[in-house]
Amino acid sequence: MHLAWGPDEEAFRAELLAFLDEHTPMEARTRRDFQGCEDGEVIPAWSRAWQATLFDHGWMIPGYPPELGGRDATPVQTLVYLEEMAARGIPRSMHFPGYAIVAPTLLEHGTDEQRALVPAAIRGDTVWCIGMSEPNAGSDLAGLTTRAELDGDDFVVNGQKVWTSYATVAEKCCCYVRTDPHVPKHKGISLLVVDMDTPGIEVRPLRHITGVADFAEVFFTDVRVPRTNLVGAPNDGWRLTQGSLAHERAGLWVEGVARLEQAITGLIDLAHRRGVAGDPVVRRKIAEASSRATSLRALGYKGITSFARQGASPEHSYMKLATSEAGKACFELGMEIQGAYGSVVDEERGEEAGRWALGFLISFANTIAGGTSEIQRNIIAQRVLGLPRS
Amino acid sequence: MDFTLTSEQELLRDSVRALLARECPTSLLRAHIDDLGAGEPLWAQLREFAALGTGATVDLCLVMEQLGYVAAPSPFFAITCLYAPVLAAIGESDLDAVLAGEATGTVALAGADGAWHANAESAKTFVPDAATVDLVAAIDANRAVTLLAAPPVRRIETLDTTRQLYDVETGVPGTAAGVISHDALSGVLERATVALAAEMVGTARRLFDMSLAYATKRVQFGVPIGSFQAIQHKLADMSLDVERAWSAVYYAAMTIDAVADDRHRATHAAKASAGEAATRAAKDGVQIHGGIGFTWEHDLQFFIRRAYGAEALLGPTGWHHDRLADLLM
Repeated sequence: MHLAWGPDEEAFRAELLAFLDEHTPMEARTRRDFQGCEDGEVIPAWSRAWQATLFDHGWMIPGYPPELGGRDATPVQTLVYLEEMAARGIPRSMHFPGYAIVAPTLLEHGTDEQRALVPAAIRGDTVWCIGMSEPNAGSDLAGLTTRAELDGDDFVVNGQKVWTSYATVAEKCCCYVRTDPHVPKHKGISLLVVDMDTPGIEVRPLRHITGVADFAEVFFTDVRVPRTNLVGAPNDGWRLTQGSLAHERAGLWVEGVARLEQAITGLIDLAHRRGVAGDPVVRRKIAEASSRATSLRALGYKGITSFARQGASPEHSYMKLATSEAGKACFELGMEIQGAYGSVVDEERGEEAGRWALGFLISFANTIAGGTSEIQRNIIAQRVLGLPRS
Repeated sequence: MDFTLTSEQELLRDSVRALLARECPTSLLRAHIDDLGAGEPLWAQLREFAALGTGATVDLCLVMEQLGYVAAPSPFFAITCLYAPVLAAIGESDLDAVLAGEATGTVALAGADGAWHANAESAKTFVPDAATVDLVAAIDANRAVTLLAAPPVRRIETLDTTRQLYDVETGVPGTAAGVISHDALSGVLERATVALAAEMVGTARRLFDMSLAYATKRVQFGVPIGSFQAIQHKLADMSLDVERAWSAVYYAAMTIDAVADDRHRATHAAKASAGEAATRAAKDGVQIHGGIGFTWEHDLQFFIRRAYGAEALLGPTGWHHDRLADLLM
């Protein structure tokens, strides 16, 4: 057991920091609590340029080879990269589906033609969305009913997706569809690449709880998708829903813990500004949050050790649940610290333009999206602890 | 931060685990309720690890974690986490015999308030194993250390039947052994706190393991109760807390061994996280067991008692949160 990494990792870190000092645009240095909740442009121009710069210098996905925006970094070097980006609050991209989900899925399961789409997805030149959730298929994702039926050389798609992030600006969609309704639900799903300008697709923006239009509903009416756009084998789509950057999976928690630590630093400043830094209840609650963050950072690192040894780590199942719930508690505490002003969000009278109240609302994204906290507990119980399904 | 154990550390952990599985069954804990001497044969087996008294904190924690898993009734904590480091800090020649497992001792520090800081009171409290060790190292208001042989003691009855704590009258003749500096005493207490937290993680894991096993085999409504979401979510949260606490403890142990700046904060986070894990595992553990977990005949009680006994020792969770706040704010 030791606290620090070796000289190779430190050299890697120095090279990264030199790059960041020279190239990071001002807009990427704002240390926002959450990404993608800005009004106006969904994907700002500066972020498109920044993502391309990262790709061209091999800093977009360091574990990938140079032609895919990386530099063949080792797993520990990748961790150093994620740590430094998170510590500085620098986003790689303002649209995650393309580089984080579509790229690894197509690289692993796609045809040559589909794999050719990957560099532009990672560089951010093509904006992607993912068609997963439906009005009646949320936590029960495998119950999705958007149908795709073969008609000659095309699939004909009918149905509706919902909570589809970036659908208003996406050029392409990785869409999960039911291709066989007569078999158990997990066995009749397929994955299609759909061009968003295909006739029959209608996108309606959805405002989320803070009032910002950040995701959308997508309606499919007799949308014709070439048969060659099927990813992987027919009816094998459920297996593909697990797609993510395998070599970054061990570090998915880094961003969550960094934001938690940033919130705690903010809470300490807030308590001092509001004159309650001497209040024993406030002090204890902040310390509880800090102790939790310390233990979660340590648990994240322990997971990397497991990952390096076994190629899998149960620790990471715990990290999403724990960091998202702890983050929500921090924003709620930020409101409590302000007393009567806890719910004030106007820029003149509210603290930090409503950072804590609005952050509290947005924090539900983390305890719902990508599997609710309740589903995470089911996963831990059944897949990590081996308890029987109910 | 790398949590990989060396092969020597894995060997240490595995050999202690095997030894305790053999030498410390729950029948020993039951016998120990009425006969404090029942734990003596166990110490004869554990003395070969007494050298950890001045060893790496990580190694010490690996052993303490296993002792917590079986709720071992043993003076190991008093000797290796308190007595030996105090002797080492003042350069006492008796240390070699202690590290060789040939001499034993404990430390008397807390006064009537039960808090572990230097004070002028001669009636010391919460002294572990004071009746069964060779010497008691009493620390006074000026941090002068006096070694006492068989001072008057009175056992403090606590919830925990597996650990012996005593009131000790230290105003009796003894051997002046030197003065321990403020920093050295703080360092001893930090290391002991992290080691005790490791023990609590072991106890929490035992409570969790027993509850998971019970939820898997206990059938109600025609199915194992572990298939119910209410039970699954309890076990998921218990497991998360145990994993989180384990990580916090070994992080703190690494910071102490490296004399890193973060060691003071990490120590508080470790004991607090271990306290959260152990008390949750105890409470939810009984609840998952239902009626049988509430009985004298079931072994779960020993680990519930051990968890709450350790929680109270060297500062409960809230006390550590408050000290952490002092460092943060």
